[in-house]
Amino acid sequence: MWRWRLPRPLPAGGGPGGVTVPRAGLKKYVLPPDYSGIVFPERTKLKFMDKVPAVPKVRREPRQLRDIRGPSREATDFTQGQYGILALGGGYLHWGHFEMIRLTIGRGMNPKTMFAIWRVPAPSKPVTRKSLGHRMGGGKGPIDHYVTAVKSGRLVVEVGGHCEFGEVKPFLTQVAKKLPFPAVPISRDGLREMRQEEEEKRLNNQNPWTFERVVTSNMLGMRKYLSPYDLQLKGRYWGKFFLKHRV
Amino acid sequence: MAALSGGVAPWCRGWLPALQFVRRGSKAVTRHWKAMHFQRQKLMAVTEYLAPRPAVPPRCLAPRKETVEEDNGYVQLLRRQVEEVFRDNRMIAVCQFNSMPGEDVVLMRHYLRKHNIEVKFVLNEIIRPVLSQSKYKNLLPLFVARNILLVSRETKVKEMLRVLKGVPQINLLGACIDDTILSRQGVENFAKLPSLEATQGQTVGALALLPSQTSSLLQRGSAHLTALLDQHISRLQAAETGSPAEPAPAQSSEAH
Repeated sequence: MWRWRLPRPLPAGGGPGGVTVPRAGLKKYVLPPDYSGIVFPERTKLKFMDKVPAVPKVRREPRQLRDIRGPSREATDFTQGQYGILALGGGYLHWGHFEMIRLTIGRGMNPKTMFAIWRVPAPSKPVTRKSLGHRMGGGKGPIDHYVTAVKSGRLVVEVGGHCEFGEVKPFLTQVAKKLPFPAVPISRDGLREMRQEEEEKRLNNQNPWTFERVVTSNMLGMRKYLSPYDLQLKGRYWGKFFLKHRV
Repeated sequence: MAALSGGVAPWCRGWLPALQFVRRGSKAVTRHWKAMHFQRQKLMAVTEYLAPRPAVPPRCLAPRKETVEEDNGYVQLLRRQVEEVFRDNRMIAVCQFNSMPGEDVVLMRHYLRKHNIEVKFVLNEIIRPVLSQSKYKNLLPLFVARNILLVSRETKVKEMLRVLKGVPQINLLGACIDDTILSRQGVENFAKLPSLEATQGQTVGALALLPSQTSSLLQRGSAHLTALLDQHISRLQAAETGSPAEPAPAQSSEAH
């Protein structure tokens, strides 16, 4: 009940020689957060990801813009964890990124009270490289490594357990900064608020000329300068980039 | 018009080609930001998001009221306890509490407990709102620094003062005894008073004295007369038996 604390500075000579007088105050007991209903996976740390898929692809595929462009359709919502890293743009994750994420999160988290799970599959898309000093031409080069394509709005990892967002935010930020696309650490509530805010922005837009309206009605022949994908993407995505300030 | 047609022959204006060839040309860039077409840049600039303008600018609104911090259950419990203390006890003494060793505190509490006096540690932030709404409002100036309350169901002021004399760290500031607020001096004067039973006895004695005097005064004449008459009768009986000269003083006393 008794807790010593320094009071706010007293006005004009509060104590002799400016000595602060310690006073007792009331200790406030905040209710601890409710962690019931959290199911821990068997292994709390992130699983090791293979560098090369078990069945390597023989076919060398081109870099497709479509697998990193536009909003993600999978892994957009939380499953087990409460906190995660949200991609705000498209990009390719290679094995080095996976190792970086695994090691950084493994170092930052407490495996007894927290857990982390992957929301992205292991690298499976082959990327080709011509060997060093090779002459141009002569067909497509051999497969160099494998990557995972990530679209905007996808969760990369999830972290959960008996922890608060402030505990996991530092190392999630550290990871998010190093990813090859813009990414932010986010919590369950934060993601819901973000979605709500976007919806409100879309409904309360005071601009009568929205991108969608202009494109669908082909005002001023604008379709000539736009691609068919703009009908789907509504001007919110440009290439792999996500234009988050637009509606 | 010719600019809109885009170089298509005038006879096929407004027609879509029946056969479209697979687009070939520049590959899609996946690495960097591709520059937009100028018309598209214009379109993006035109279709920006516009936030709704509030009817009243936020600067012109009245400043927001400070959100009232909701008391948690612990604070409410402490307040209720303070209320109970003030309701149940007849003697409540407010003392200044300076830091002292824990053993001394325990010892002092033990001595006070012997006389059925409880020591209550209260916080100013708890007791101030409680007192400001109760009838003990005038006690508020006493609660400035660290305070303790010495409470008892009986008014054992003398014992309390005797214990406090040995504890220089605790200074009596004031007391509220039987709903009467007393200063330190007042408490000392109160302690010098005799106990209630003795005072009541004195009062009863003083009150009984006057009627007894009056009655004794009233009965004095008749009692005197009866005494004289008794004396006279005894003289007369003595004169019948002995000397007859003796009734004379009896007669004079009878005239008296």
